[in-house]
Amino acid sequence: MYIIKNAIKCIGRAKGRNILIGIIALVIAVSACIGLCIRQAAESARESTLETLSVTATISFDRQSMMSQMGGRGEKPSENGGGGFDKDSFKEMMGQSGSLSLEEYQTYAKADSVSDFYYTLSASLNGSENFEPVSTDSSDTDSTSGGNSAPSMPGGFGGGMGGGRGQMMGAQSDFSIVGFSGDNAMTAFSSDGTASITDGAVFDEGTENYDCIITEELATFNEIAVGDAIEFTNPNNEDEAYTFTVVGIYTDTAANQDAFSFMGATSTDSANKIYTSYAALKKIVDASEASAVTKTDEDTDREYTTELSSNISATYVFENTDDYYQFEEDVRDLGLDEKYSVSSADLKAFENSMLPLETLSTMAGYFLLVILIIGAIILVVLNILTVRERKYEIGVLTAMGMKKAKVALQFLTEIFVVTLAAVIVGAVIGGVCASPVANALLENQVTSQSSQMQQIDKNFGRDQNFGGGKGGFSGGEMTPPDDLEIPEGMLGGAAEYITEINSAMNITVVLQLLGIAVLLTLVAGLVSMLFVMRYDPLKILSNRD
Amino acid sequence: MAVLSLKNVCFSYGKTPVLQDVSYDFEKGKMYCIVGKSGAGKTTLLSILSGLAEASSGSIMYNDKDIKKIDKYKFRSKYIGVIFQSYNLLTKFTALENVVLSMEIAGVKKIKKAEKALELLESVGLDEDEANRRVLKLSGGQQQRVAIARALSYDAEIILADEPTGNLDADTQREIMEIFRSLAESGKCVILVSHSAEVASMCDECYELKRIIQKNIKRK
Ligand SMILES: Nc1ncnc2c1ncn2[C@@H]1O[C@H](COP(=O)(O)OP(=O)(O)OP(=O)(O)O)[C@@H](O)[C@H]1O
Ligand SMILES: [Mg+2]
Repeated sequence: MYIIKNAIKCIGRAKGRNILIGIIALVIAVSACIGLCIRQAAESARESTLETLSVTATISFDRQSMMSQMGGRGEKPSENGGGGFDKDSFKEMMGQSGSLSLEEYQTYAKADSVSDFYYTLSASLNGSENFEPVSTDSSDTDSTSGGNSAPSMPGGFGGGMGGGRGQMMGAQSDFSIVGFSGDNAMTAFSSDGTASITDGAVFDEGTENYDCIITEELATFNEIAVGDAIEFTNPNNEDEAYTFTVVGIYTDTAANQDAFSFMGATSTDSANKIYTSYAALKKIVDASEASAVTKTDEDTDREYTTELSSNISATYVFENTDDYYQFEEDVRDLGLDEKYSVSSADLKAFENSMLPLETLSTMAGYFLLVILIIGAIILVVLNILTVRERKYEIGVLTAMGMKKAKVALQFLTEIFVVTLAAVIVGAVIGGVCASPVANALLENQVTSQSSQMQQIDKNFGRDQNFGGGKGGFSGGEMTPPDDLEIPEGMLGGAAEYITEINSAMNITVVLQLLGIAVLLTLVAGLVSMLFVMRYDPLKILSNRD
Repeated sequence: MAVLSLKNVCFSYGKTPVLQDVSYDFEKGKMYCIVGKSGAGKTTLLSILSGLAEASSGSIMYNDKDIKKIDKYKFRSKYIGVIFQSYNLLTKFTALENVVLSMEIAGVKKIKKAEKALELLESVGLDEDEANRRVLKLSGGQQQRVAIARALSYDAEIILADEPTGNLDADTQREIMEIFRSLAESGKCVILVSHSAEVASMCDECYELKRIIQKNIKRK
């Protein structure tokens, strides 16, 4: 007990020395605190997001392997004298790459890891005289064939890959019509979705009736009310017409922000999106197939079929990421060809969104290590100097009969008290500074990450709405609701980074800091202990210099 | 019966012999004086007696027990009170704190240690103000008296004092000697080192340490 009393007295009577040690410990504590906070923030951001993240996945033709094959051929001198791109082999590959059939999709849905499964069929149809699409300012009116809604295939590839039967590509169409397998497929209408019905109701689940719902914009534009009939034609064959009944009118807030919507990339205008049931659309597609004729395009001499181009896309839902990874293995067991790959846009987007924060967290880890090593060295040196300076005191105490271990313990207590005080002050300062410092660093990281992604996109020749590259939204504009901010539309495919963390100062960080304090004290204290143990009181006392 | 006895104790600093074949007996209730020229090895002898230095040969018995077999920290902190020639006080502490600390190291079970310490300091002639002053701000003589108070604070059986009155005026010296005398009368063993003939004359027994080569003779 008197050891502690003694220690505290000694601290008070050597203020200069202890303030010096305290300042160094403080600097270490503040830096360590910020480093720990960043790591903690990254950790909790990952955990809390993963907790709420419902993972969905799609199976698609492996774009990457296809591209690398294409790239490989491109480098060779082309046989038909063209540039770097071999159109014929591309075509050939497109032919092979047809999307899986519904039956195949359903086979994989039987994997235990899958918690929910749904699919959509999409097709492009033209309007008729009294039913016209909302015209759009965007010049981006081509590349709409297929109306692909698979999130993993945005951009130019989507349309072409859908049909897979050498249909005429680039045929202009007015509407993108999507047939849903069930209510669960209509994710935009779910409780946390962006769309809602404003008039009428959604068509019955699984109905074969030609019922559909249209956007408010389209309804206003064509003066359509619930109950009215609308007529579509096949873009490849004007004589082929289908009549639908409008049973509901909806709005979709996500659709208004085209930048965030992956649909926007393939659809002329989200206002021209019409939803129906899978069964209804399937009936049309089958009818179209049955009545299809093969024609030859006069300009290109290529054959094409008048069959309605359609594309099926299936989505698997998982309860958590583990199930998703299990599914990746399951599909292979169930016989999925290597040409196809399972991908999860939302998991990818999540990983992407974590990228700057994780990089920062890794850097914080190294920083922490360096701080601790340098801190420990400085503290050890300071303590050696201190112990040498206090030689006489050690001699007196041991001559008085105080055990060396107790003397060492007293010195250890002194170091600990000073370090602890510094850590407490450091935790407060660090806790206050952690958020601004972390966010400034994070912004920096996001900026460099985005420019890196943009560079990659440029190298790949992709445009902006492909993959990442959209990050760098300034954190300040988005107010974080919880302890982190994931911008809306994160799941839209474009990488949008977590750009802001709130102070992650919590009990874990405090405990870690305490651990560091104890560790540093022990390291510094052990050295002083070695010195104390070495001293012989008689020698110290008999030569006082 | 001797509480402390030296048997053929030899000691040398490296190759320089300081003590040779020293055999003394110290009994309870008596006051001893060790005399000898400067450099004769008196301080060295006290270091051996207090367990700070180890004899190169021979043995030191405490109550017929070799002190090598006694925990030297316990021996130093409880059984023996040492007044060092150079005081060896904690300079950053006050006089009072020095005394209280030695009681704490000795494990004295008194609750009011500060009061007892203050009493002791007063008995050696230090007032309360001086008792609460840092040791460095006390005069040499005052420091010496703090060292005496400290040695007495835990009721040790043996008191070793190296020139305890070397820095004191005649009056104070007499007072201090009175204290030692009453300690001896209360049954303690007091061993003093002094150059002063007056101090020696007040002791019950005197041992003279001769510088090496000459054989130490016992004088009654
Ligand atoms: N640490 C040491 N190393 C080597 N020699 C030492 C050491 N300490 C003392 N001596 C020598 O040992 C001898 C005895 O020293 P000691 O201090 O015991 O003398 P002393 O009798 O107490 O003298 P004084 O009356 O001056 O205090 C001296 O010759 C001294 O030079
Ligand atoms: Mg001496």
